[in-house]
Amino acid sequence: MTLLDFASGPGLQWALWIFMFGVVWRLVGALFLLSRKDLTKPREHNSVAAGLGAVISRSAPAHAFEKRILFQHVTGYVWHFALFISVLFFAPHILFFESVLGFSWPHLPNTIILVTAIVATAVLIALLIRRATHPVQRFISNADDYISIFVVLIPLVTGILAFTHFGGRYETLLGIHVLSVDVMLIWFPFGKLMHAIMTMPARYQAGTAFGRRGVKA
Amino acid sequence: MNTEAMSLQDFRALLQKLSAGAPGQDMTDEERVRRAKKGFMQKLNGHRAVDLDSCLQCGMCAEACHFYEATQNEKYAPVYKFRPLRRFYRREMSPLRWFYRPFTRDITVADLKEWQHLIYDACTGCGRCDMICPMGIKISASIRVMRHGLAAAGYVPDEMRVIRNEQRDQNKLFGVGVEQLKALVDKLGAQGVNIPLDREQADVLLFTTAVEVLLFPDTFAATARILNKAGADWTIRSDAFEAANVGIITGDDPTMKLAIRRIVDKAKACSVKTVLIPESGHAYQTIRWEGATEMGGPLPFETLSMPEFIAGEIQAGRLNLNAQSNGASVTYHDPCRLSRKGGVMQQPRDVLAALGLDVRETPANRRENYCCGGGCGEYVLENAADLRQKAFEIKRREFEDTGADAVVTSCANCRINLMIGAENSDWQTPVTSLVETVAASLAD
Repeated sequence: MTLLDFASGPGLQWALWIFMFGVVWRLVGALFLLSRKDLTKPREHNSVAAGLGAVISRSAPAHAFEKRILFQHVTGYVWHFALFISVLFFAPHILFFESVLGFSWPHLPNTIILVTAIVATAVLIALLIRRATHPVQRFISNADDYISIFVVLIPLVTGILAFTHFGGRYETLLGIHVLSVDVMLIWFPFGKLMHAIMTMPARYQAGTAFGRRGVKA
Repeated sequence: MNTEAMSLQDFRALLQKLSAGAPGQDMTDEERVRRAKKGFMQKLNGHRAVDLDSCLQCGMCAEACHFYEATQNEKYAPVYKFRPLRRFYRREMSPLRWFYRPFTRDITVADLKEWQHLIYDACTGCGRCDMICPMGIKISASIRVMRHGLAAAGYVPDEMRVIRNEQRDQNKLFGVGVEQLKALVDKLGAQGVNIPLDREQADVLLFTTAVEVLLFPDTFAATARILNKAGADWTIRSDAFEAANVGIITGDDPTMKLAIRRIVDKAKACSVKTVLIPESGHAYQTIRWEGATEMGGPLPFETLSMPEFIAGEIQAGRLNLNAQSNGASVTYHDPCRLSRKGGVMQQPRDVLAALGLDVRETPANRRENYCCGGGCGEYVLENAADLRQKAFEIKRREFEDTGADAVVTSCANCRINLMIGAENSDWQTPVTSLVETVAASLAD
């Protein structure tokens, strides 16, 4: 069995199981911790609208904070956008998704994918440097913060290398790339990559809590 | 009114002496840690678990914190302030605790000592960080859980412990009890301000605070005049008049519930329709937004803050005001527990506009407003005086940016802190109360 066979065969299968089970376990475990019901009389509001409103409104900072977090706000958008394009619209990726999901969608030209992958990699490295040097971020950071960056960075870098056939045999590079994706999937539920799942419930509950009091979250 | 208020200097001297009366605390280190953990566990619910599991450690919350902004000290980043709680959650309560435990350090008594400063001196629970978090994490709610754990472990700062014990054991604050309130009522009565004390039944039950009785009796008088002018059927009870709640401030739940119960029981006994909270942000938050939950069921009355009440009376045509036409300008300082934590933001502005004042907004206002720097009882802490002053300088810059003639607010705690900050830095702009501003313009 080659590295690629293992990474895209049993390795990927196990990684997906751990990913799915871990995500559900952590999400359900947190949500099911009991919360006391708020018995105060709310101001007139629509709880669902307030919750969904916060899911959207927290995608941009409130006016008073815009200038102070401009770098993180902009890089956050560029990073996520470039990552999603690279992952979801690269033809070989779509073939893989089709094999799992049973359906596909149009892909983007390889040149565009290469650019978005390089942009995503560059932004992630910039965010890594910021984490290591910004006084607050450096001070508050723990192993999870760095591990989570590296387990995403390595699939990006190896993906670019495999695509450009740079630095080794294509099959080997592809094997390392898929293996690094396996590692990322396994780490996902244990570290802060989990924010991709938690964003919705966290923002929603903030929206409903503030909404009760007549405050836009 | 001439009600011989205690001077600000005398009140500051009183605060400086508070800690001298703090009783000793006998607790082993192990007991403190055990109690802190129990306190965390009691309050760590599903909402907080989602919050703690969602944190990206992006550090943006630091950019919303007045103490971080004023000092640039990374320790004051709000995300760091709830770190022991996050560690506790990961080790003891998280669904993945079996995984986290070997990599997550346990809480020690040294942690609790360090976080006493971060949680009491360096956080006013204002919740401005709640408004910036891209994940929507209610950081201030986790800070409250931290206070709860620290209080259980005996880490309430001395000054707060003294007033907490005074409220719990004597139903007094700063030495103000039944006699002091009655003396003030008599004095105001002699000056023609009718205060219907101790009526058995009324529509409106007014509360006040020891701080108002001591330091701002004119605000109390102004409240009475507004109620009388509006023709309200009201009373205030000498056996339960205190709206302040040192329990919620310190994180001491039994005292918080006791103080809430005193108010709720009296309101029920008097069959009132409305409980009127004086100019105190945390008192409003406690009764309006915690009372029913703490008492285990809906309350049979509505709870109104002074801005809500006055705005409602003006709108209903029961309160006529002489609108000023001298072009005077004011800026309104939003008390955090009325604004982003209470939803009372438009009403005070409507009231000031009804007075014909030129209302000028600070750059950050309403739900994004900066804290006065001394909220949540922080203004009584001597150790935090330097931090408070640095945070006040942010407020001062914000106020000066408006060019307004005066600062108006609707929380005695904010007012005291702003007045002390102004006094320390020889800043001359007056800081006054919304209620007094309204009472000065009551039409005949």
